[in-house]
Amino acid sequence: MTKYKFWIGSVVLVLTCVSPARAEDSAAIGSIRMSSGSAFLSRGDQTIAARVGEPVLEADTIKTGSDGRLGVTLHDDTRLALGPDSELRLERFAFAPADGRLRLVLKIVRGVAAYVSGQIAKLSPDSVRLETPAAIVGVRGTTLVFRVEPE
Amino acid sequence: MSLIVVAVAMAVLATSCVRKPVTAPQPPSSDLIVLLRDEDTGNLGRASVSTRFGSVTLDSERQVTRLHPNRPPILSGVMSDTEVAESFGDALSALPLPTLRFTLQFRFDSVELTDEARHLALEIVDTVSKRPFPDVTVVGHADTVGPRDTNFVLGMKRADTVRALFLSAGLDPNSISVSSRGETDLRIRTDDATPESRNRRVEVVIR
Repeated sequence: MTKYKFWIGSVVLVLTCVSPARAEDSAAIGSIRMSSGSAFLSRGDQTIAARVGEPVLEADTIKTGSDGRLGVTLHDDTRLALGPDSELRLERFAFAPADGRLRLVLKIVRGVAAYVSGQIAKLSPDSVRLETPAAIVGVRGTTLVFRVEPE
Repeated sequence: MSLIVVAVAMAVLATSCVRKPVTAPQPPSSDLIVLLRDEDTGNLGRASVSTRFGSVTLDSERQVTRLHPNRPPILSGVMSDTEVAESFGDALSALPLPTLRFTLQFRFDSVELTDEARHLALEIVDTVSKRPFPDVTVVGHADTVGPRDTNFVLGMKRADTVRALFLSAGLDPNSISVSSRGETDLRIRTDDATPESRNRRVEVVIR
């Protein structure tokens, strides 16, 4: 009997480990809308080509090589773009105005990036934080461009 | 003889290799942040830039903050349009087009668009077909007249009507996704069993 319990337990454990992958699509926070040259999307320790239409998730990193450019639209209409040799992490994103959950944290790791504010910045400017390795930027509905030297 | 040729060839190769790295002097290593006017709305916002050494506020067009290592951020003048294009053109040209949202109104308890909505739908088709990689989300809604389940179905039928109209106008089916929220996401809050024309709608988002 105890032996059976062990096996059932293991099966349940395996199933719980496998299932989160399916939730991926509903967890999308936006998508790649422009991609040119070498442009990538990193999730955990996986890196894939950033093709137009590819969904992006919270905690994803987008990056480009020396000939790459990349554009992303998030679900709150925030727009982001990278020039060549650039990297940006979609640190935090929550857009549920009905529940009052609004949060956007982006980290520009290196290179050249453009940011155009969306609805989160409009509804709750203090919920938006743009970070570089050296600075924290707060915004009041605007377009900003960044050049961050590699460390 | 052949040895000399090889030696000369190698010398030529070596010098050409050495000469290559002659490039323009590197700009000083400092991060830049520049405030721009929003191209689509014409709005100019504001941004505060803080490091552990201090902070500055950007509030005029093309104003620049420069961040030198281990020093407070400084306001560093205003860039010209040309300088902005030179420094940031690659990223700016990769910005996606703005997201557009439209509402299409329906007749009471019906999957028929109002005349006005029909015209708007054709304008939407026009806009979508100008985008290189459009993504169109179609979400159907109903007012609170009738049971919840029926309203989910009605919302779906409305969304399907719009999808069919878009397809007949030549849009790519792969770029369109359709769903229904029934009476769960009212535009105008009402009690149950309340006819409200503004809730009888399909919302279309173009990305």
